[in-house]
Formats: sequence, structure tokens, C-alpha cells
Amino acid sequence: MASSVSEQQGRHPEGALVREARTLWAFAVREYRIWQSYRVNQLMWLVNIFVTTLLFFLMGLMVKGKAAALIGGAYGTNYMSFIVVAIALSTFLYTNLSDPYTRIARSYYNGTMDLLLLSPMSIFTPLFGFMTKSILDDYPRLLIVGAFGVFLFGAVFRFQHILAALGFTALALAAAFGIGMISASSFYLLNIKRGTEPVRFIVQQLLATLLAGAYYPVTVLPKPLQWIACLIPHTYVFDALRRLMDPGARLTVPVLPIQQVLPWSPLVVDAVALSAMTLILLPLGFVLYGQGIEKARRNGTLTRWQ
Amino acid sequence: MTVGAPLIRLTGISKTYPAAELSLRGTKLVTQGPALWAKQLARAARLTAVSGEPVRALTDVTLAVYPGEVFGLIGPNGSGKTTLVKIVAGLLRPSTGTGEVAGVDLAQAAIIRRRVSYVSTTGWMGLEWALTAEENVRFFGLLCGMSPALARQRTLAALGDVGLVADGRKAVSELSNGMRQRVILARALLLRTPIVLLDEPTVGLDPVHRRQMLELVGETLPKRGQTVIIVDHQADAIEGIARRAAIMKDGRLVGVGTPAELLESLSGLKVVELISRGGAQPETLPPRPVRAVEQVLRPGPLGLTQWHLTVEERPDALEAALGWVLSGGGEILQVAEHAPHLADLLAAQAPDEQEAG
Repeated sequence: MASSVSEQQGRHPEGALVREARTLWAFAVREYRIWQSYRVNQLMWLVNIFVTTLLFFLMGLMVKGKAAALIGGAYGTNYMSFIVVAIALSTFLYTNLSDPYTRIARSYYNGTMDLLLLSPMSIFTPLFGFMTKSILDDYPRLLIVGAFGVFLFGAVFRFQHILAALGFTALALAAAFGIGMISASSFYLLNIKRGTEPVRFIVQQLLATLLAGAYYPVTVLPKPLQWIACLIPHTYVFDALRRLMDPGARLTVPVLPIQQVLPWSPLVVDAVALSAMTLILLPLGFVLYGQGIEKARRNGTLTRWQ
Repeated sequence: MTVGAPLIRLTGISKTYPAAELSLRGTKLVTQGPALWAKQLARAARLTAVSGEPVRALTDVTLAVYPGEVFGLIGPNGSGKTTLVKIVAGLLRPSTGTGEVAGVDLAQAAIIRRRVSYVSTTGWMGLEWALTAEENVRFFGLLCGMSPALARQRTLAALGDVGLVADGRKAVSELSNGMRQRVILARALLLRTPIVLLDEPTVGLDPVHRRQMLELVGETLPKRGQTVIIVDHQADAIEGIARRAAIMKDGRLVGVGTPAELLESLSGLKVVELISRGGAQPETLPPRPVRAVEQVLRPGPLGLTQWHLTVEERPDALEAALGWVLSGGGEILQVAEHAPHLADLLAAQAPDEQEAG
């Protein structure tokens, strides 16, 4: 019976992985078409990136000559290089952490979740599919921020450790996506459909913004807050990428309190912390998200329109 | 007459939705920010009592639908039709009861979902407004594992079935509401699953497209070997195409059978349609020959009221009905009589007067 059903519906007899990949591609094409259809949005998108980078360039002018002292030596002497790493990475991390909840909420309110879960894909595929929109919208910002920073505002980078930098970035993105999945699960699991979602608010809006050292090194914070900063992936990836890419940065001078306590080099501490977070947060995110969908199915709350 | 094993078999299905609100020590909490988080965390941890009443959407529904049937579900808003259809689609878990859909146990929702197409016309209908009708339909085919070429071919065929080929390249935002509904119908036609579930598919369609749609559902889909459950609160949509139908009220099945069988329970009754001007609601209850009354005030300055009276087939019934309406004052402008339709079942009989099917 199963084969006849597949044939009737025109499904390819390929494996599940290939099918999921094709589905994701279909999502990506669709999201690109939607993104492309809002032309004014594209211009605003570019202006927004430019203004953000310009803002920090102006702040950089303010601290010109004092940057080395302010950013502590471990991260080199160029404030624009220091800040461009944070802006570019923050975009990635913000996307992975905040967008899963936003996309699930959108799907709930426009009634597409029922439809998507009727198709034979995994319950996680719609979420990944929605994230292709985020990737289209947000990931290219890295290159544009970098280009603005380098060509207009005087940021300088070194690329001899680029593979290591990419590895740290991948780990941080995975950990952030784990938190994003946990955040998205709260939509169905805790029924948080109004107001502010707590996980992403606490991690992204509070901890990452204030404590992760995006705009200033964590050493300017009181010691207890520096320890709290060590609880989120942002702190480690900012630290690692600045050491690896900013000119004049030093690989061995500890900055984070946990680096001062552990007998390893700062980069090893960063790698271990990010790996541990990924190993814990990513599976936890998947489990909680799956439970959220299951709960919504039981209670009939997959979409707003019942 | 139904033959063979049922394609859909439900036994004792009930569905209760949990209460939506809760209170903490009797005080309703605000629903924003940290208070909301605390509330939901407390609820998740079962630290607080749920104060609202759970909603019983379905009670002990037992039903069989046979291969190739067009089966209608009729009932007023809130009678549980959509809940029942979503359970059949594998989108909702029943609270109690068992069943099989296309040979698959209800518990295996993931497999069931591969064997049904489901159309709902509520909300945004799952359409992406910025994309064209064609892109929306094709995307669903790709999600369901079709090759791009087949998805394109089936999309064009499905759009042709619903009369939308000429408008297929228009963005959904440019289409009328009725055309959007036809887009989602096209989406359901794409897969050719053994079972097609249509939840109020003709709401908002103009008469021509409504008729075309009903022809498609009533003739084309069964010819393709597809079994259809069509839900509508307008029973006339179903009466013309369904081989069998079920009447739902308050979450229960209150009658199952062919339209003719269902209408048998109305034998000895007829419908009197009146239009009156002026006057008020009669102060007395309707007299015995009048079994059910529906009245609609027509908007506008004329003060017209449309009456739909189900009355017994008796020589004095019309006179009694007219007398009762006129007891509220005003004048009768128009009188018409006809045999009852399925829709009259809902008005004429209380649920406890009928046998569940």
C-alpha cells in the first residue's frame, strides 16, 4: 500500500535525507522569492547595515589613540576591527537565537503550521525551512559589515587562522541555534504567544547585549558579571575571533575569568566551552521543540485558526 | 449502500481541549512580561490550578467512511466538525477512542498525514501572499517530495481543475478571497491522496465557482478513486453531492445516513418561508404545528424580517404559523412553502431526539 500511495502522489523513492534536503531547497527558493518581492526592504536592509557600522566608526573616532588601553591589549589596538567582529558575529548569533521563535510564531498566526505538518517531512524541517529566510536576510550582513568596516572605516583583519575562526563560528552558531530551539519550544510548550519570550530576551537582549563584550571587553564589568558572561556562547566566540583575526591580538593572554582559572590557553577554553554548550543545548533544543509540537497537536493549538 | 471495509473507521472518539486560563490563588495574572513567564512556568510545572473549564469538543463519535464515498459532515459552528476532521488528518490527537485511517492506526499520525489532503479555508489558508498562485501550489508539491517537473505539471493540472490557469501567475495578494480558496483547493488536488478532507471549501465562492467546485468534489475526485469528507455548515452544499452525511451537534453525531435517509426523519414536515415587514417578536411560544423557527432581520430601512418555519404537514399549519407571526404585529409580504432540506434537520430536531449513527 505504501508504494502505491507514493506513486499516486508522485513522490520520489529517494531516502529521507535526500527528501529533506530537497524540501529545504524548496523552502530556500520560496523564501528568496518572498525576500526579493519586497524591493524597498532590500534598500532599507543595506542602509541599516551601513548606519550600524557607521555608528561604531564614530564611536571609534572618539576613542582613537586610546583604543589599545580600552580594549585591553589582548584584542589588538584597532577599535573598528574589535567592533566589526562583534557586529558581524552578533548578526549570525542573533539570527540563530531569535529567529526560530519568530518564525514559529509567524507560522502559527498565518495558519501554515497545519499545512506544513501535513506533508511527509520531519517536524523539524519547517523550522529549518523558515530559517533559510533568516539566513538569506541576515547572513550576507557579515560580508557587508566586513566590507564597510574594511573599505570605509579602517578595520583591519588577518586571515592566517581563518579555518580556526570558521570552526569557532560554527560551534557558536550551533550553540545559539540550540538556545533558539529552546526559545521556539516555549511558544507551544509554555504557551508563550504574547509579549516577550523569556529565553531569547534573557540570553539575547540582556546577557549578550550587556555582558558578552560586544562593544567593550568584559574586563570593564564587575567580576560577578564577568562570570555570568561566561554562561553564553557569544562571549567565547567574540573572544576567540578577536584573538584570531584582529591585528596585534594575543593568543595567550587570558581575558575571561574562566580563562584565568583554567590551566589551558584561552583559545582551548573557548573551544571547550563552545563545544560543551553545543553538545548540551542543541539536543535539548530538539527534544523540547519536538515536545512542544506534540503538545500542540494534543491540545489543538498548532495554528491560531482552529 | 456501502460495501467493503471502511477506509476511515472511528470508534468512541472524544476530544477535550484543556482550559485556556488559570489563576494563582484566585487572582488572575496579567498576561505580559515576567508575570506571563512565571504563570506559564508555574502551569507547566503544575504548581497552579487551572480555573477555566476544559472544552469538550467531541463526545463518543463512532463513524465509518467507505472507499470512494463523498461523505458530508453537517453542523452548526462549534459543533466539532473541524476537530473531527483534524483528528482524521492526523493533526490532532483524540483524548479517547480508537480508529484507523486508510489502514493506519490513529496513533500513527505521521503515516496518516501522507495519505490525506486537507483543505481549510480559515485564517490565511496557509498561503504566502507575496508568491503567485502557481508558486504556492507548486511549493506544497515540492514539500511533499515531488520532483520539480512533476510538481509543475500537477500544479498546472490542479489550477486547471479549479479554473485558475489564467490567474496562476498572479500574486495571491492580487486575488479575490474566492480565488484564494480555489488556490488552496488546487493544493489539495495536487497529491491525489486516497483521502481528501475539505473543511468549508465553498465559503466565499460566487455561485458559479461554488457549483463548479461542488461538481469537482462530487464527481471528479470519486472518479479518481479518492474518498472525500466535506465539512460545511451550509447543508445544501453537501446534500447535492454527498452519498452519505452525518449531522453533528454539540460534539456528537446525531444522525448518519444517505441524505434521503436523514430526510426521512423530517417526513410529515414542511418548510414555510415568510417575509414580513414591521412588527415585533411574538410574545407567545409558536403553536404546535410549528416545530422550529429561524428568523433573520434584513438590513435596510424597510424593516423586513425573513422567517424560516419548519411546520407539520397539517391543513391548519400554514394558518397557525401566519397567525403566530402576525401576533407580533406588522404584515406578511411573501409566503413560500417547500419540502425540508438537510439544513432543516439542525433546526427541527434537538440532539437527544435522534439516534447517533
